[in-house]
Amino acid sequence: MKHPDQETLALHAGGDLGPIARWRARRHLARCAQCREEVAGFDQYRQLLPSLDDSQDVHWSRLAAEMKANIRLGLAAGECVSVAGPVWSGARVGVALASVAVLLATGVVLEHPGPTVARETGVVVQATADGVQVREGGQSMGLMHSGTNKEAVTYQVGAQGSVEARYVDAETGYVTVNKVDVE
Amino acid sequence: MLALLGAGAALAQDVPIEGRVNINLGKDSPVALVGMSTGDSHSSSRGAALVLDLHMALTLRNTGASRIHGVALRVVSQEITVGGKGSVSIPSLNIGPGESFPIRIDMQLMRPTQVAGGPLVDVNLDGVLFEDLSCYGPDRLSSCRTLTAWDLEAQRDREHFKHILAQAGPKGLRQAMLDSIGRQSARPQLDVRVLRAPAVTSAALGPVHTEQFAFLDFPDSPLQPLDGWAQVAGNEARSPRIQVRNRSAQTIKYVELGWLVSDPGGQQYLAASLPASDPALYLPAGKTARVEQDTALRFTRAGQPVSIQGAVGFVSRVQFADGKLWVPSRADLERDSLVKVLPASAEEQRLNDLYLKRGLDALVQELKKY
Repeated sequence: MKHPDQETLALHAGGDLGPIARWRARRHLARCAQCREEVAGFDQYRQLLPSLDDSQDVHWSRLAAEMKANIRLGLAAGECVSVAGPVWSGARVGVALASVAVLLATGVVLEHPGPTVARETGVVVQATADGVQVREGGQSMGLMHSGTNKEAVTYQVGAQGSVEARYVDAETGYVTVNKVDVE
Repeated sequence: MLALLGAGAALAQDVPIEGRVNINLGKDSPVALVGMSTGDSHSSSRGAALVLDLHMALTLRNTGASRIHGVALRVVSQEITVGGKGSVSIPSLNIGPGESFPIRIDMQLMRPTQVAGGPLVDVNLDGVLFEDLSCYGPDRLSSCRTLTAWDLEAQRDREHFKHILAQAGPKGLRQAMLDSIGRQSARPQLDVRVLRAPAVTSAALGPVHTEQFAFLDFPDSPLQPLDGWAQVAGNEARSPRIQVRNRSAQTIKYVELGWLVSDPGGQQYLAASLPASDPALYLPAGKTARVEQDTALRFTRAGQPVSIQGAVGFVSRVQFADGKLWVPSRADLERDSLVKVLPASAEEQRLNDLYLKRGLDALVQELKKY
């Protein structure tokens, strides 16, 4: 089976693939546990990004408005110093209108609301590719069952905020129950 | 996106972790630490995050006079744990006085910045269950109740397979093992995330509606489920509430229900266990109480959301005021095909594994030990 490359899986995890590529990625993920684990890994790191992102306060509409105002200022200044030829020559008007159109289009694209996604806030407990984990923001604690076939692990969730993984430890031969809980 | 891709690439610089783990078994503990290894524990960087992989192998010895049937360890990372805690438990043990047994603890801790000095992880003994169902330990995680329930389930399932062996001989036992293993591999499972804080309401989840619980009422259960509901929106179910009545003659101090959900195709899954939220529950005979939790559960399969339809509840664990426990009988579980939806008990899982690795004769010998 040919696997999608890392970039494709990362884009899929971020919801950034186009419709056809997304369909192809979903189709592959439905039958490939290895790639699902990769995507789950990317998803995990993506949860960290808000805490690592220093640029989330950039106000794009303000930035676009400032750029538009500066260009208008430049055009107005050009009118003051222009002495020869008609002010509204076809070429000048074309360039100015095209610039403003590009700026407006950029502003609209940057401010366009994307699809609403339910963000997970607070403490999350979940099973991961090779363990169970409690996570909040960029911090997490996991109890792992590395080396155990995931199909041989039984997961159970507690609605109070817990998840446990039960498996027979290949080295000790004992049934082992790893559990994480929200305090 | 570059940050996302960069975060996925682990840097190769690993730092060994020595002397950062505290083991505390208690002063008068019935188990003693006779060996410990931190193996290839290490820390590494992933993007801007620091990841610590801890691999511990402990060897404990039964220093008491009774056989040990289960052990639970409480595992906490004071510096990194974010309002959470962990435990590693070993049920289905049968360790005689003076005998030793190993426990492995594999942990992964992650945080965005460097970790300061001091202990990373505290491992504390929380409970030791003995053959006579007495229990030792600080029991901060209610490990004694959990270990006892597992032991009752173990007795129930050993009796079930011993009965098959007596009735149908080794061939019948082999068939029962194959059926059990087949059920477990065919058992439908969903990936479930539990969110403690309320999630941001999203139009993407769809409209919220109240889903009424239907109930499987086991005739021998001391508790009767009366009525219940949960809020459901798309693949999220939240705030389940179930009214129950104590129909036994004894006072009940702990109850736990099982919660099944269905997908649009009608396939049933075990969603979660639903324990009473009140740690001081006191439910006299004939009285009613409400079992509720204010969490949200999100269901996915292969990374895709699974819409939830239907909710079914059943009583899965009851503890009386005198400490004794009730768990469903094998007959209860086999009614209504519950046995196909629920995971095998820890003991059935152990017996399955023993049969697969060591064969029928070893399984027969193991059953004869009890």
